Amino acid sequence: MAYLIFSLSLLLIYIGLAQMLHVQFGLLGIPNFGVVGFWGLGMYAVGIMQVQLDMSFVDAMVLNALLLAAVSYGLGHLILRLERQAILCATIAFSAIVALLAVTEKWMTMGVVGLGTIRQPFRIFGIEEILFFIFLLILIIGIQFYILKLHKSRLGRLMIATRDNEELAASLGKDTFRVKLIAFTLTSAIMGILGGLSAPLNQFLTPNMIVPSITFAVWISLVLGGKEHALGSMLGVFVTFGLFDILIETYAPVSPEFAVLVPNVKLFLYGALLVGVLVFRPSGLLDQRTPSDAVVGTLGRGVLKGAVAIHQGVTKGVATVQGKIEHRKKGGGT
Amino acid sequence: MKLHMRNLTKSYHSHPVLNVGEATLGEHGLEGLIGPNGAGKSTLMGLLTRRIAPTTGTVVLEDGEMNHALNPIRSHQVAQLGLVKTNQRIQGFPSLTIRDNLRFAATSHAQETYRGVMDDAQIDEEIEAEIDSYLETFTFAEPDGFANSGGEKKLLDILRCFIMKPRMLLMDEPTAGLPDDVTKKVMDLVKSKVKSGDMTVIIVEHDLELIWKYCSYVHFLSEGEMLFHGTPKDVKKNRVVAEKYMGV
Repeated sequence: MAYLIFSLSLLLIYIGLAQMLHVQFGLLGIPNFGVVGFWGLGMYAVGIMQVQLDMSFVDAMVLNALLLAAVSYGLGHLILRLERQAILCATIAFSAIVALLAVTEKWMTMGVVGLGTIRQPFRIFGIEEILFFIFLLILIIGIQFYILKLHKSRLGRLMIATRDNEELAASLGKDTFRVKLIAFTLTSAIMGILGGLSAPLNQFLTPNMIVPSITFAVWISLVLGGKEHALGSMLGVFVTFGLFDILIETYAPVSPEFAVLVPNVKLFLYGALLVGVLVFRPSGLLDQRTPSDAVVGTLGRGVLKGAVAIHQGVTKGVATVQGKIEHRKKGGGT
Repeated sequence: MKLHMRNLTKSYHSHPVLNVGEATLGEHGLEGLIGPNGAGKSTLMGLLTRRIAPTTGTVVLEDGEMNHALNPIRSHQVAQLGLVKTNQRIQGFPSLTIRDNLRFAATSHAQETYRGVMDDAQIDEEIEAEIDSYLETFTFAEPDGFANSGGEKKLLDILRCFIMKPRMLLMDEPTAGLPDDVTKKVMDLVKSKVKSGDMTVIIVEHDLELIWKYCSYVHFLSEGEMLFHGTPKDVKKNRVVAEKYMGV
């Protein structure tokens, strides 16, 4: 149970990162290949503030958000005027620097020895992990709600126009650089906040957590789900991390002699899914024309039907068991 | 609105492409700018809207009592002052529908905020009415969908500028790619807007018949220099223009 809560909490963190990348790349066309840098910086910042400076979790999170906003604003100023390839390289370099600093600055980060232990923010014995999961869930649903609204708003239209043709948008009186800079600052800072929230989840931080494969996982999720769709990030993380890492790897009913094969089969299926989606649906599972309301409606109906089915199943099961008990009672009577 | 240029030059890698000593555009309502290919007409348009930075010289936008130096500001600020340009080559936002294109151009940047995202009213009745009237005057194959053909995209480019209600409009070859009947509608609308004093217009065009018909004053640019200004009548008679442009 604790393992499932941990996995689902991690899933929510990934959804959050993909949502932010959706705004950066899907709406604004900023190819941020340094997702893990912002996430890792936030995670280590909160870890250091808690362990080395003995700050409270709330203080550490607030300070972390301000730190990440300042760093993102500075980085954005340097790189957002450049071409897309240059932005891509610069953000990769940024994440590499963060990963390296985590190793070398031992006085702060404890280097490869590792930094710990980070306390849980909700200290109610027994249910602290569940409370933290619920907190994350509310946060992610809130972000998703805002992104759905953003897609229908004037600001969202400005972002899409900036992505499509920045020079033309500027010629119509729009300050496109400011739009990109503010959005990049806010979304990168939220990536850092998600990193900070990952610190108590992981409890113990080591530099090898800041690896490019996290950036790639978030990118693959977004591209699979549909980079331009408001719900693409969420769907993408469900079908990659949710389906493969949680469902198949952990809960697939495989007999022990084949269990060693599971990680390899998982990677194979993962690759096959990615290739299949890119060939048959290049813009992702959800493209721009899929109306969000329909997706929400379908998901809602699905959840409702599932709930009804479970309810029916449970009632039926209970009825059967009751019937058997009564039958036995009767049998015992004769 | 008027545009004053002084010692305006533009060079690429020390190769001069434009050298306008002193000139003023926008004194006569509807003006034309003509000249052979490579004369620097589009470069001049780019300099005037600050899309391109000048090598030397200044551009000043005179708006009634106010004078705005354009050198220190960026292109979106020029547009916010009321000076807007239509594009020679087809430009557009492929992800936005025709209506969203027009809404985007008509919306003030002050409304495009993060707090505004939570507002339920994202539609401005006044803007919608204006869009409806434009879409009644100009026909698109799918007025509620996307601009498909090159002609539709070009027309949309011009309508985007109209709906911004600029004080001064620069039109870079507006008729290239437009069907004749649409060109006439566009030009008649331009003429009526100029007549009512809403805006001044500078048209860059190779279609000289259109220039003679609509413009009250014409500037002639050749090899990067302003060689002649005058009424269409004067320009037609001018020997330099005839030699350099009309191949007489």
